[in-house]
Amino acid sequence: MNRYLPLSLWCWWLLVGASVLAFWPGCGDRQAEHRGEELFQQNCATCHEAPNPELKKQPPKLEGLFQSKTLPSGALATDEQVRKTIIKGVGTMPAFDQRLSTEDVNDLLAYLHQLK
Amino acid sequence: MDLKKLLYLGLGGAVLIAACQPGAKRYQLRGQVLDKNPATNEITVNHEAIPGFMSAMTMPYKVKDSAVVQEVEPGDKIAAEVVVAKNGNDYWLEDVRITDESGRKTTPVPAPAQRIAAGERVPNLPLINQDGKTIHLDDFKGKAVLMTFIYTRCPMPNFCPRLSSQFAKIHDDLEKIPDAYAKTHLLTVSFDPNYDTPPVLRHYGLAYLDNDASGFAQWDFASAAPSDLRKLADAFGLVYFEQGNQIAHSMDIVLISPQGRILKYWAADWTAAELEDALRTAATAPPGVQTVQTGRVQ
Repeated sequence: MNRYLPLSLWCWWLLVGASVLAFWPGCGDRQAEHRGEELFQQNCATCHEAPNPELKKQPPKLEGLFQSKTLPSGALATDEQVRKTIIKGVGTMPAFDQRLSTEDVNDLLAYLHQLK
Repeated sequence: MDLKKLLYLGLGGAVLIAACQPGAKRYQLRGQVLDKNPATNEITVNHEAIPGFMSAMTMPYKVKDSAVVQEVEPGDKIAAEVVVAKNGNDYWLEDVRITDESGRKTTPVPAPAQRIAAGERVPNLPLINQDGKTIHLDDFKGKAVLMTFIYTRCPMPNFCPRLSSQFAKIHDDLEKIPDAYAKTHLLTVSFDPNYDTPPVLRHYGLAYLDNDASGFAQWDFASAAPSDLRKLADAFGLVYFEQGNQIAHSMDIVLISPQGRILKYWAADWTAAELEDALRTAATAPPGVQTVQTGRVQ
């Protein structure tokens, strides 16, 4: 018997397990949400989670952003609108087009959707 | 009670007070020291992302313990606690530990610019404002000018957004006093000319002027050709350099007399009320009796 057989069997099962996990419903979403949360903490929380009386306008809290029909700006609460807001900025909120990639914004949206 | 006991009691109390600062938030920082300034008790740190506080960047921090500023050197890698006061406007480093000294003094540090001294004339370099019009500092002769530097993409609330917000407050206050409004001018200069084109500056300015474009008559948002911008920044001691997809920079505010001479510099310690008072005083003081003040050296 090939002495490497047990090892190759283990590798095979490991591969099958990883594949099942990767395609398990919701697993990819949770990864995106997790990454989105990290991005949120690094890029958004500094303003949106910390009231700063020295700013002209207080950035709104973003909990329940997609539970409302409209965004704090009055625009419809759609993925497209939030994406545009993040990339181009709105009012005194700066543009993040040079800081966040398309994938980053997708992950942020995934996190914002589950933020209640 | 003997002296030793008293000392221990005092120390214990101090630790307790420090640990129980109401509402202060604490974050772990890891990074490399790029510069230090014992005069202001600050060190500039190129640090990793601080979850919940800010992304990776280079910025100056005040240090509670002045001995730390004496001890650390550019190039040192450090770990520390960032303490953010409850109001979110004040932050500093505590518990600074040097984790690696092997890079000491080997890190290239941007050369500090030799800025124009108070009392000297300002350089008359061309700037392009939010309307695409070329302007010069000499255009504002006869008015006291308060000038600062920003970049519109700045995501740090205590840096450019704070500067513009507080300038907006000054603008709004002066607008209610026609005489002071006519004798003063605000100027915000972007050090990111490739991104901050006139339309971007106009859009940015309108957000701080409550969408009232008439405010541009008293507050210009401008940038300049990169070579002119560097000369201007050096003249006023502004330090800025690109770092990844953002710009690390110092905070500088300059007060210029109606005769076009430097009156005062501010770096970090200022309030809108203080700036407004200085601006109004400069605007109304008769020529020749302008008080030249020495600002804090960054």
